[in-house]
Amino acid sequence: MIMNNDNFLQNLTKICGSKNVSQDPEDLKEYSKDLSFIKGKSPLCIVWPSNSQQVTNIVKLANELKFYIIPVSLDSKFKHHGDSLPKKDNSIILNLSRMNKVLSIDRKNRVVMVEPGVSFGQLVPILKKKGLRLLLPLNPTASRSVLATALEREPITIPRYHWDSSDPLLCTEVVFGTGDLFRTGTAAGPGTIKQQQKMGQAQVNPMGPTQFSPFRIIQGAQGSLGVVTWATLKLELFPSTQKVYHFQSDNIQDLLDLQYELLKYRLCDELFILNNLNLACLLKQNPQEISELVGNLERWNLIYILSGRGPLAKDKISYLEGDIDEIKAELGINLSAPKVKISAKEILHFLNEPCNKPWRMRFKGAYQDIFFLSSFEKIPTFISLMDANNKKDFGIYIQPINQGTSYHIEFDLYYEPESDNVVKTIKEKILNVGNQLIENGAFFSRPYGLWAKVVFSLHSVETIAALKKVKKIFDPNNVLNPGVLCFDD
Amino acid sequence: MDEEEYQKMIKRCVRCSVCKWIPQVQIKSQKYASACPAIDIYNFHPYSGGGKIILALAYEMGRIKPSEELRDIVYKCTECGNCAVACKYMNVLEPLEIMMKLREKLVEDGFGPMPQQQLYTEAVKKVNNPYNEPHEKRLDWIPDDINLNPNAKILYFAGCTSSYRRKEMAIAAARIMNEADVPFNVLQGDEFCCGSPILRVGDKDTFEDLLNKNLDTIESKGIETVVFSCAGCYDTFKVDYPLRRKYNFEVKHIVEFFDDLLESGDLKLSKNVPITVTYHDPCHLGRNAERYEDWDGDSVQLMPLVSINVPPKPKRTGSKGIYDAPRKILNKIPGLKLVEMERIEEYAYCCGAGAGVKSAFPEMALKTAKTRIEEAEDSGADIIVSACPFCSTNLQDGILEKKSKLKYFDISELILMALGLEPEKLKQAIAEVA
Amino acid sequence: MLEKEILKEFQEVVGVENIDDGEVMTNAYAYNWCIEFVNYMEDKDPIPFSPIPKAVLLPASTEEVQKIVQLCNKYSIQFKAQSTGLGPWNQPSTDNSVILDLRRMNKIVKIDVKNLYAVVEPYVSGAQLQAETMKYGLNIHMPGAGPMASTLASHTSMAGPGFTSPQTGYSARNVLGTEWVLPTGEILRLGSLGLKNEHDWYSGDGPGPSLRGIMRGWVGTKSGLGVFTRVATKLFPYPCDTEFVLKGHSPIYNFKIPNFIRAYVMDCKSFKHLEKSLLRVEEEEISFICSHMSSYAIMAIFSYTLESLMDKMAFGSMKSPLLVVIAARTKREFDYKQKVMSHLMEELNLINIIGTKYEPESLFYAECLRTNLGYHGFIATGGFQSAKGQCDSAALCLRAEMKNVPLKQKFIEKGVIANDFGEGAWMTSYESGHFFHMEAPTFFDQTDIESVKGMGDYMEESNQMDLLGHLGVPFFIEGDKLHNHWGPRLMNYHKWLRKIKKTFDPNGISDSGFYISANDGGIKKRD
Repeated sequence: MIMNNDNFLQNLTKICGSKNVSQDPEDLKEYSKDLSFIKGKSPLCIVWPSNSQQVTNIVKLANELKFYIIPVSLDSKFKHHGDSLPKKDNSIILNLSRMNKVLSIDRKNRVVMVEPGVSFGQLVPILKKKGLRLLLPLNPTASRSVLATALEREPITIPRYHWDSSDPLLCTEVVFGTGDLFRTGTAAGPGTIKQQQKMGQAQVNPMGPTQFSPFRIIQGAQGSLGVVTWATLKLELFPSTQKVYHFQSDNIQDLLDLQYELLKYRLCDELFILNNLNLACLLKQNPQEISELVGNLERWNLIYILSGRGPLAKDKISYLEGDIDEIKAELGINLSAPKVKISAKEILHFLNEPCNKPWRMRFKGAYQDIFFLSSFEKIPTFISLMDANNKKDFGIYIQPINQGTSYHIEFDLYYEPESDNVVKTIKEKILNVGNQLIENGAFFSRPYGLWAKVVFSLHSVETIAALKKVKKIFDPNNVLNPGVLCFDD
Repeated sequence: MDEEEYQKMIKRCVRCSVCKWIPQVQIKSQKYASACPAIDIYNFHPYSGGGKIILALAYEMGRIKPSEELRDIVYKCTECGNCAVACKYMNVLEPLEIMMKLREKLVEDGFGPMPQQQLYTEAVKKVNNPYNEPHEKRLDWIPDDINLNPNAKILYFAGCTSSYRRKEMAIAAARIMNEADVPFNVLQGDEFCCGSPILRVGDKDTFEDLLNKNLDTIESKGIETVVFSCAGCYDTFKVDYPLRRKYNFEVKHIVEFFDDLLESGDLKLSKNVPITVTYHDPCHLGRNAERYEDWDGDSVQLMPLVSINVPPKPKRTGSKGIYDAPRKILNKIPGLKLVEMERIEEYAYCCGAGAGVKSAFPEMALKTAKTRIEEAEDSGADIIVSACPFCSTNLQDGILEKKSKLKYFDISELILMALGLEPEKLKQAIAEVA
Repeated sequence: MLEKEILKEFQEVVGVENIDDGEVMTNAYAYNWCIEFVNYMEDKDPIPFSPIPKAVLLPASTEEVQKIVQLCNKYSIQFKAQSTGLGPWNQPSTDNSVILDLRRMNKIVKIDVKNLYAVVEPYVSGAQLQAETMKYGLNIHMPGAGPMASTLASHTSMAGPGFTSPQTGYSARNVLGTEWVLPTGEILRLGSLGLKNEHDWYSGDGPGPSLRGIMRGWVGTKSGLGVFTRVATKLFPYPCDTEFVLKGHSPIYNFKIPNFIRAYVMDCKSFKHLEKSLLRVEEEEISFICSHMSSYAIMAIFSYTLESLMDKMAFGSMKSPLLVVIAARTKREFDYKQKVMSHLMEELNLINIIGTKYEPESLFYAECLRTNLGYHGFIATGGFQSAKGQCDSAALCLRAEMKNVPLKQKFIEKGVIANDFGEGAWMTSYESGHFFHMEAPTFFDQTDIESVKGMGDYMEESNQMDLLGHLGVPFFIEGDKLHNHWGPRLMNYHKWLRKIKKTFDPNGISDSGFYISANDGGIKKRD
């Protein structure tokens, strides 16, 4: 793409206002790198639109003048995956952080409408006051965008509420790479959003309109097919009682077998497995405390929450406990509680509240995460693969998703960022481990960073061809975030 | 079914495909969910009950002309009636009756029945049986030691298949009646084909001739009860004859008759028969053996487009077939264990032989039999038992073809064993198809 | 009929016995339910026959389907795939077509108990699959079309609402790995199924964007974008004891009611209170079935013949009925759920007529579990179809139902559709009340030309009312004519749909009659 430089900056300024366009070198530097190993290019400028009309105009301009747009929701301080780094010259950063309104909260229909700049830190407490909660990923950073997280198909911690892989994302307003504004799901109409809401509609059905579901195409696209300017997200009611269960074992199979039964019968809310290191990172704030706790925990930790709400909360928990006790007796497994006391409050804190700084950075200051999907049976295989590499500095997080039909497995590689040698080693390790996992059937459904190329090279050519066709439809001039996924190969 | 009802009903299929399966709530596995042998084998939709309704409509509308293709599809059906049971579980249509009427129309138009069926029809006209066997040899099955009573009011009607092919069944029935001291007689030289294989291929005129011949004969002898081993003869006399001509004698299948004898104590089963059996419900003893009930009511329009029958019109749903009697008999045999297949009673899978299929499409009959044999094997039984000579022939053919370890017995043979008598060892004869 | 050389090529793919291009077969396949009023709405003769295909084929495998599709491209013949085949959406829109009847593709490929999904081919019916998954204490989502309908077709190509949707969701949202023969003949394998190493069925999304987005929306493409040959679908816990014993004979079997199942039928007396009640019940996450239906439909689900249904009409009309069925695996779970219902009924001032005024036949519970409710009500006039079908909030659904009453009554007064008091509706909850859909089953006489026309006119006016009244998008907005009409009022979605069609079916080989054509081959609008 050859950019037409004429009046490029003036046009952007005309659209957004001078206060919302920056070519400050410090700003530009910030967006040309992140905490991944991907090398980014310096963008031409940063633009902060205030509404979807401005976004539309910018995307149209990009098609006309032939520059690239990298959509970013909030600040990139903690970004780890390289997906928001410009990979080509003539790129601008479309920073959506100033579109930060919580547009509506609908308790009756359990839905919230947010702009991309709304963060977890902003939204979680507002919802809690209304007795509502978001379907959260594991202890998200407060400064992260709620909408962007949902767009990335990041797994949530309550598999029984994960009705579809796309949850909690519902309807969206999106500007496709062509510059066309579109609303997905029932938000498409008929009528404006106001008119729809007058008829009682709440933009809670993400499917459609009619015979396609474009929201699914935007999700997981890393901003390369459309720029979302608002979305509705599913909410649940906040429980009045949450009872925490924490079991340990040095044999992961025992915990896997138990969590399967809980999952099969949809008995609990939050449900996941962590290794001792990751649990310690979630519970403690500094390396010393983390190391100490690691030493006092068994390798594998199953956490699940039973919750109830209202006057019958106790009754609900009581019957769930009874059913679970029966299951445990049938399984004949003996699981221990931790030797060291971990209060329910501590666990609920990281489950219900976002953290100020990524919890994964607490141990050594830096980390790289490798995450993929797996079937139930292959979980031990993938763990063995990792163990063969280096057991000590890996955090492990296993999250059943999508009603228990698959598992998100995450390996967090912790390291001290200051040492170049260490960084080099970590990079090699990431690549090596990633490749091994892919070759053994790990499904990197959300491919980022260094191994994205390998992921696509080991995926069916028909899928790649189809994805490229979709790209050609929704972003024919490749203006949106070029260089991610498979679109440029 | 009269012409008016036919013309109305052929327009009402909603193509829901329930006719291909047993009643939905009865499905216990994927393997044994289906109801219709024709579509199971040939797969194209017109082979199903609903598919035949569509053919009937297309034929009436002139969209399809009579042809061999049409004829073949229409005649590749055993008229087992499973589609009708399934349809009436949810809807109100009569796919079996529509199909029978369609065959009549093809015969009238000169395009039916199948050539092989035409052959046996000619045989019936000539020698009173579809096997083209000499009429004078019809009673050759009777052993010398069977006691007949010329004054008896009970008539044993052996039927063509038991007389010429499955003689062991007729002999067993006769021996049991002797054992129970039941005075009975047989028609001496004037037992004719009941007409079932003729009726079911659509030749209603020839059927009516046979009906009248048989009824004239029996009524002239003052018979009070006619007993049948053959489910086909039983069904024809019980259900089809009264639609055309009423008669004043009772009809019973041997399972009903022998069950009554057991209940009254006239028959006592004392010998141990330590076998595991599964019972195959013959279509013509089960769902199809339900009488048409007279109805004098009216169709009353309740509101535009909605009419109901007042009083409610009796619907033949297969619920009044003979299911309990054979099972009671089997449960009374000492040492015998009865296990059920998945598809039983009004939704039992057909043996594959009926309505002229054994003659015209022997491969279809055999494939269907093999399916049923496999279902019997899966029940855990060593023996499959039934109460119809046509089922007997076809299922035994299936056992041979499949090289199955199952054995076949007629229910009368098991009763013989429980009486301490030996069934006839005639099974080495391979049945010939007419 | 096909030309001899072309016929021969198709025969080489499926075998001589699995293709038929004769007059009898092709005419038989041209018939379907509701085609008569669809024909009327397209200015055609309102007969129950569509264009007659050139041939009908019975492929047995994905590879055969692929070869057929390739031949169709070679000879510019359209194809229409169907499985259990209920409904006009199975019909070709042109006589230059072949029908792929997928009956021979009937395997349950696997039931993966540990990963809670099953993989099926097109001709596995819901009842068959449920019977097999029950053996593991698991259940499936069964569409309202009935247990005899194809599970795969519901999930990939049609709609997918169900009575058990509070617990089992909607078909489109239960799709995992999918095998899909594109109109160009390539085989696309979605999600984890596309892995070169150790592919598997557990995910239908990615890598990156999910191609499920072009596969279907609220409704599917109805063979307009290729042929789906295998699909993995989620499994759910069977709600109670899996013992399923029926005694007696058809049609009124005696069902051994499982220990922990109970029905509630309550009159909410107004739409407003009904909305409140639906949302409150669903917030508590206890229901197996949570449906609103008209009082007519409530009576239908408790009767087994048309006559007994009419008897129950005298029972008294409820204004806004709500049906809730709870089911549990254990007594303690059941006690809890009953307690919750008790509290809710007190809070909402509702009375359960079950156990007070009325006790259903045991068969009702079997039909709840087998999703086979109320069929007799639907065939009161012989024919039926649903208008509406929008899905979003409870409030929207009820408003659409409310607005529909006078419109429906207009046609009832004309005597062209049956009198269900105008309220004929079925509304069900999804995913514990996160959204609801509503449809208006309407009964007409498919043999009465005035009734057929009336049904067609009613559907058109109902659609138009929803469009202009901002009442959401009904089910059957499909085909060029309707997409061209609706698209401009819905973000011009039809242009994107057309681009998808053009891109993935450049030769226009996959029948677009109930989808969209690439070149706007729209059907002339009726005067």
